[in-house]
Amino acid sequence: MRGLAGRHERRWAAAILGAFGLLALLPVAVRRDDVLNVVFLILLSITLAESWNIVAGYAGQVNLGHAAFFGLGALVARTLWIGGTPIAVALAAGAAIATLFALLIGVAAFRLRGAYFAIGTLALGEILRTTINNALPEISTLPAPTIATYRLTHRYYLALALAAVSVLAVAALAGSRLGLGMRAIREDEEAAEASGVGALRLKLTALALSTGLAGLAGGLFAFYHISYYPSHPFSPHWTFDALLMTFIGGVGTLHGPVLGAVLYVMLKEYVALRWVDFHLLIFGALFIAIVLLLPGGLVQAAERVRRLVRR
Amino acid sequence: MLEIRDLDAAYGDIRVLSGVTLSVGPGEIVALLGPNGAGKSTLLNSIAGLLRPRAGAIRFEGEDLNGVRAHLIVERGVALVPEGRRLFGSMSVEENLELGAFAPRARAGRVAGLERVFALFPDLRDRRRQLVRSLSGGQQQMVAVGRALMTSPRLLMLDEPSLGIAPRLVRSIMESLVEINRGGVAVFLVEQNIQAALGLAHRGYVLESGRIAGHGPAADLLRDPHVRRAYLGPLAVRE
Amino acid sequence: MSVLAQQLLLGLLIGGLYGLAAAGLSLVFGVLKVLDVAHGELIMLGGYMAFFVVAVFGLDPFVSLLVVIPLSLLLGVALYWGLFGFVVRADEETRVKNSLLIGFGLALALHALAVRLWTADERSIITPYGGSVISVGELSIPVVRLVSLAVAFALIGGLHLLLARWRWGKAIRATAEDWQAALLTGIDVRRAYLLAFAIGTGLAGAAGTLVTIGYSVSPSIGLEWTLKALIVVVLAGLGSMIGTFVGGLLLGVAEAASAAAFGGPYREVVGLVIFVVVLVVRPRGLFGR
Repeated sequence: MRGLAGRHERRWAAAILGAFGLLALLPVAVRRDDVLNVVFLILLSITLAESWNIVAGYAGQVNLGHAAFFGLGALVARTLWIGGTPIAVALAAGAAIATLFALLIGVAAFRLRGAYFAIGTLALGEILRTTINNALPEISTLPAPTIATYRLTHRYYLALALAAVSVLAVAALAGSRLGLGMRAIREDEEAAEASGVGALRLKLTALALSTGLAGLAGGLFAFYHISYYPSHPFSPHWTFDALLMTFIGGVGTLHGPVLGAVLYVMLKEYVALRWVDFHLLIFGALFIAIVLLLPGGLVQAAERVRRLVRR
Repeated sequence: MLEIRDLDAAYGDIRVLSGVTLSVGPGEIVALLGPNGAGKSTLLNSIAGLLRPRAGAIRFEGEDLNGVRAHLIVERGVALVPEGRRLFGSMSVEENLELGAFAPRARAGRVAGLERVFALFPDLRDRRRQLVRSLSGGQQQMVAVGRALMTSPRLLMLDEPSLGIAPRLVRSIMESLVEINRGGVAVFLVEQNIQAALGLAHRGYVLESGRIAGHGPAADLLRDPHVRRAYLGPLAVRE
Repeated sequence: MSVLAQQLLLGLLIGGLYGLAAAGLSLVFGVLKVLDVAHGELIMLGGYMAFFVVAVFGLDPFVSLLVVIPLSLLLGVALYWGLFGFVVRADEETRVKNSLLIGFGLALALHALAVRLWTADERSIITPYGGSVISVGELSIPVVRLVSLAVAFALIGGLHLLLARWRWGKAIRATAEDWQAALLTGIDVRRAYLLAFAIGTGLAGAAGTLVTIGYSVSPSIGLEWTLKALIVVVLAGLGSMIGTFVGGLLLGVAEAASAAAFGGPYREVVGLVIFVVVLVVRPRGLFGR
């Protein structure tokens, strides 16, 4: 993957944040709810993808239980918010619980390597989903007064802020000593350990950051949707979406997940209008092609094109 | 029979062999000596097809081996007894030996081949049904050599066969190599045990840091200061 | 008491299918060191194959195995040549990771394809003897599921013999143990990979058929069965097909016991919890080497 930490990321972060700045003006320029909803979805996806990217791209582990933290964030935030807590506090609480859970299982989970870590986290995610599904089978709907005062633009700006936070967090991480340490582990764990990098501590930090962001995204989800089944945000398809977006864009880079998220949501919206399930078929095939041929995703593809053009 | 010219081999960015040139004639026993890390295993692995060399030529009986897949190299008549034996622990002695005769050319002579191996290593006949992982190091080495013999090779290569084996059994294995050679099979032997290796070899090469540092008839090499350095370390040269 | 016994019996009956589903995955993982998380989708495809073979040709569903298994073998060959054959070119660690991702993409694509072709509805095969039961004391044993268990057991037994006696079966075992040593004995390791993958897919097809006969098939059973297979593979460990079958039976019984103890909805959870615990505590599994 990309070897340069810091400078590249910073430039991309600036560009993306600039784009976000423009997006901030969107609700003023365009008064259409459907456009705002699509952009909201893109921003939520960016947050989710970037959060997954932290563990996968920087610490090198494929976490297939990511939805569990998204779901926990949503669950806690929703419960608190409907109960009267201000949304900011509810969001923070959601993120905190998600992170706490992550740290609790993290020590055991990181004893597993590679594929075992992946399937272990998958199982954990499914355990949570099934349990919530059984414990809270009824749909969660916002009370009428809250629906009356529902403002899409509030959700929109919150999504924008969260996406910006996730981009900044990854940018800061990439350039920091923490990020470099993580990269060392990803390249060669044993060598890194031997040279004094505390692998477990770094991985746990990455996990904490990743799941905290996922928890916030979950809270955003809870804030946005008027009604949904409490087990829905625990569904593995949220993990898979984040995975697809990150890989297609370019895992381990800052802008990869952003590109992937934009492409994914736009394509899904476009294709879904005409053929409901083809987009998954297309993405499945695209994903396979990328894993085999272009492990660095679109970012790597762009690099190659740039090099070709330069000749 | 085996001709290697200007061979370069590397693992990733680490260059292991540079410009290695050597040969093994039909019916010869040739030893390859050298300190740890000199690249001896790498050379054998390259010939056997487990590693693709970066440059140079490997020719066996006039045909290019470079780039040929390992199991096809076995089919052509080159067999390697790898370092550490690498037997199939969950299978019996007989099963391991029979797998040696897996390839079509060897399969025809399977039954006769098995008899030959048991004649060479009588210990194994009694233990034919025993699981290989329950055997001693020396017995496992016999199975490893036997398995390679079952491929009906014309060139037999061995990577450190004496490693971890009791001295009495080392002698026995070396004797069996002479026996095998008398049957018309050329032997290319990598060994740290200089005495044992040069005791039965006709010729030898010395490999140091990936390059050939000396070669000649076995008797000459025994007296050579280069060789003594490889055997005893840098201190030995002071005579 | 008899209700519990009945539950446990039903658990045992489906456990055989869990074992069969896991056997294919275990073979592929053990030999190719590839974790095919699309295995459940292959089971699903097998189920649909059976459904259509029965619908179009009017064969008895158990007889349809004679068509589904060869077709699945061919599918396995195609998937190996087209996809997984490339994954095995990398070293082991990259291989596992890549196979995980590729299997995931494949699962996604196959699932979407199935929904597109056959809708999300459940299908099952209706047979004249479908409802019959054998009564033993207070237990009623559904005939169809009993026969399925027997078939699953026979297939696993056949696989075991294949690996023990067949020349290429031994080559497959040798490759699983040490592929470089296998090469040095003249075994074409890539051919061994191909065979193992094809057989694994064949077993998946058989499992899918039995699932459709005894229960039902729909596009979404893929993930469910992949997880079941994974749980059993981790529980039983690699290296023994009989052990895998027993592991499947154990899972089935454990699920039934927990459903009886804690209520139906938690049936799924117990398997997953066992999975995670075994994974962390004894990754080698109960019978693994």
